[in-house]
Amino acid sequence: MNGLLDAYRAQFKVTFAVQLEYRASLAIWLIGTILEPTVYLVVWSTVARAQGGQVGGFAPEDFAAYFIVTMLVNQWTFTWIMHEFEYSVRMGALSPQLLRPLHPIHLHVADNITYKLLTSTVVVPVAILLAWAFGARFEPQPWALALAVPALALSFATRLLLGWTLALAAFWTTRVFAINEMYFLASLFLSGQMAPLALLPAGAQLLATVLPFRWVVAFPVELILGRLTPEQAGVGLAVQALWLVISLGSMTVIWREGIKRYSAVGA
Amino acid sequence: MASLRSFVRRTSREVRAVDDISFAVEPGEVVGFLGPNGAGKTTTLKMLSGLLHPTGGEVDVLGHVPWQRAKAYLRQMTLVMGNRNQLQWDIPAIDSYELNRAIYRVPRDDFRRTLDELTELLELGSLVHKPVRQLSLGERMKCEVAAALLHRPQVLFLDEPTIGLDVTMQRRIRGFIAEYNRRHGATVLLTSHYMLDVEALCKRVIVIHHGRLLFDGNLADLVKRFSPHKTIVVELGDDAGGPNGPGGSGGQLGERDFSAFGEVVTAEEGRVTLRVPKADTARVTERLLASMPITDLTVEDPPIEEVIEQVFASGPTESERENERAPVAHE
Amino acid sequence: MAFLRLLGVFLKIGVLHEIEYRVNFYIQVVRSAISLATGLLGLTVVFSHTDTLGGWRPAELLVLLGVYFLGAGLIGLVIQPSMQRFMEDVRQGTLDFTLTKPEDAQVLVSIRQVQVWKVVDLALGMIIIGIALAQLGRELGPWQVASFVIAILSGSVIIYAFWLMLATLSFWFVKIDNILVVFQSMYQAGRWPVGIYPVWLRSALTFLVPVAFATTVPAEALSGRLTPETLAGSLAMAVLLFFLSRRLWTFGVRHYAGASA
Repeated sequence: MNGLLDAYRAQFKVTFAVQLEYRASLAIWLIGTILEPTVYLVVWSTVARAQGGQVGGFAPEDFAAYFIVTMLVNQWTFTWIMHEFEYSVRMGALSPQLLRPLHPIHLHVADNITYKLLTSTVVVPVAILLAWAFGARFEPQPWALALAVPALALSFATRLLLGWTLALAAFWTTRVFAINEMYFLASLFLSGQMAPLALLPAGAQLLATVLPFRWVVAFPVELILGRLTPEQAGVGLAVQALWLVISLGSMTVIWREGIKRYSAVGA
Repeated sequence: MASLRSFVRRTSREVRAVDDISFAVEPGEVVGFLGPNGAGKTTTLKMLSGLLHPTGGEVDVLGHVPWQRAKAYLRQMTLVMGNRNQLQWDIPAIDSYELNRAIYRVPRDDFRRTLDELTELLELGSLVHKPVRQLSLGERMKCEVAAALLHRPQVLFLDEPTIGLDVTMQRRIRGFIAEYNRRHGATVLLTSHYMLDVEALCKRVIVIHHGRLLFDGNLADLVKRFSPHKTIVVELGDDAGGPNGPGGSGGQLGERDFSAFGEVVTAEEGRVTLRVPKADTARVTERLLASMPITDLTVEDPPIEEVIEQVFASGPTESERENERAPVAHE
Repeated sequence: MAFLRLLGVFLKIGVLHEIEYRVNFYIQVVRSAISLATGLLGLTVVFSHTDTLGGWRPAELLVLLGVYFLGAGLIGLVIQPSMQRFMEDVRQGTLDFTLTKPEDAQVLVSIRQVQVWKVVDLALGMIIIGIALAQLGRELGPWQVASFVIAILSGSVIIYAFWLMLATLSFWFVKIDNILVVFQSMYQAGRWPVGIYPVWLRSALTFLVPVAFATTVPAEALSGRLTPETLAGSLAMAVLLFFLSRRLWTFGVRHYAGASA
């Protein structure tokens, strides 16, 4: 365990140094991250105003709170490993990582956390600014906020592992692009980033509940917004834990099978 | 139009990259793998280092099965690939070294000592403090080699370690490998295109062609076994030769037709190189000395490159051809 | 004239090149399909709760979506790949080859690289517009058609000039390799009519990163709500940006040539 912590410490030094080198590029990527929820925020607020002030229980101020918190939760839990991994496999860049006595996933975890810490220095102030500009309104509850911490941690871990499982498709096919894009679309739609789940057609809501999407994004959002009862919070955390176990299991199995098919090309 | 056709339908073929190669290596040996591109040398190294799962056969390195990638195994070996980087591009090499130190769990004192030794042997100096992207190819290669050895592996797999480097750097890397092997008794398996690498470092060579093992033994024996020829170099006295160029088109040399003695490899002012079948060497030498104004005569083995080239140029054997299956329609 | 001939040549090279890489075709189809699905899903969910959005009816928003794809296709066909290649050249120092050719360097740089598969977006855009107009039912008057064409042409010039200015900045900011992403990130806001955004965002999408001129303005033309003032504004913007970008280009080239000397 000590060795692993030491390795992480060393990895963080590297990931921070590298990402700081590219901070200008990082900032540019944030434009999209911030703009997308803002656009949906405005669209739904417009709808609410046209419908006499609220739609599905959301007034413009509620939409503001919803989309801003969703932006933060998404930013704190997402992973981009699918794109990177396919590239690594194709270019043989995975090879050096496989030769080391440390599972490649750890490098991505360090990279991922570093990115979240660095970008939060911009995203959080912007979120506060947007909340003020759009008059966001919500009543956070201390107990819910406290529970949000483990909820976010569970989300982060689950999304990472699910992302990895998906990424490993690169061992079997080069056509991962379609898989990744469809995953992102499903994520956008079913995790509540396009609209609060309550506003989606019933079929979509069911799908979102059965799949992990609702539990990794929409649930922590609702928790932070103070829209859940303690019982609902408990159920949510339990389902999150279940999905974590599922994603860990599937990732382990698929990694073991996939690594056998690695052809170490490109060298 | 052909490009449009291939757009619509792709075909694929199955190729055996490595087909029944067996050998054993003792600790401390330096073994060279020779073979043309696509022969299977790199594939063999990748299997030995655990990157690839073979479709059949057994491998035991240091008591481990490589592709199970046990941490204990990975900590004792290293694979250096000539054109693959493990160093982070944007930061100084020393920072990547620190990362490796942590990952391989090298105690700090050992790390310091090893790094000092590597810095001295490879003449790294202040290179490790510059961002890697600012280094030249040769400097980067030195830093990569150092990174690969920080954990003092017992087994080194080196895949084309001198590729793309200038002559001075190649010599330095060669010297380093030899010194490292001498000091630490590390086992080295090395593939290379460059005969100089192999000649300088490896007593034992394994020749691989079309995924099959053609030869396993001493370099000298390789020449004896595969070269059916000897080279005779004669230097001529009096006014043989001249500005009229090599024989065959008149001029002084034309009077002396060497092609009756053997295959003329080169013919220039006062000097002719002949290639003769081994068995005929003595006889041809006798005849030459008897009939030509020779001032010096040398009998040599052909250069190793030529021998190797001959071996590879002979093409796949019948059984090797069977291994490539018929085209299969894809999709 | 020479410009059209050059464009033809680069188009042909682009086609021959892309045929070798059919994976790019597949990637483009997937990308466009996903983008279309995203747009349609958004519209469907929104219009399950309302009849109009900022005064725009569903079919009119569909027109906007079609214009969005049309714009993406036009930009992605020539402008984007050429600008990306131009920035690559600056970074690798290979721009000299282009600067020493007998044709105007700016023209060459701008049309050199063609991504043939983007015609998928172009086609998709036109199909969507066609379907949307059919849904709208009414006939297209001459003013609508004319103003649409002018708006598209004007918008193209504006977008081109903007991309050129962004790319020219790479003469000075060599490290920022994703500077072009600025436009692409903002472009997604063009799927919705710019009028619904708060003033600060609307202004940003008009004067800072001129997405509005590629999407909302032409869509307004087709749906008959384009005012002559807006059209005149678009034209003025086009002229202004064209000259600005040309100036920045020549300034940048001089700086570049001086630096490598």
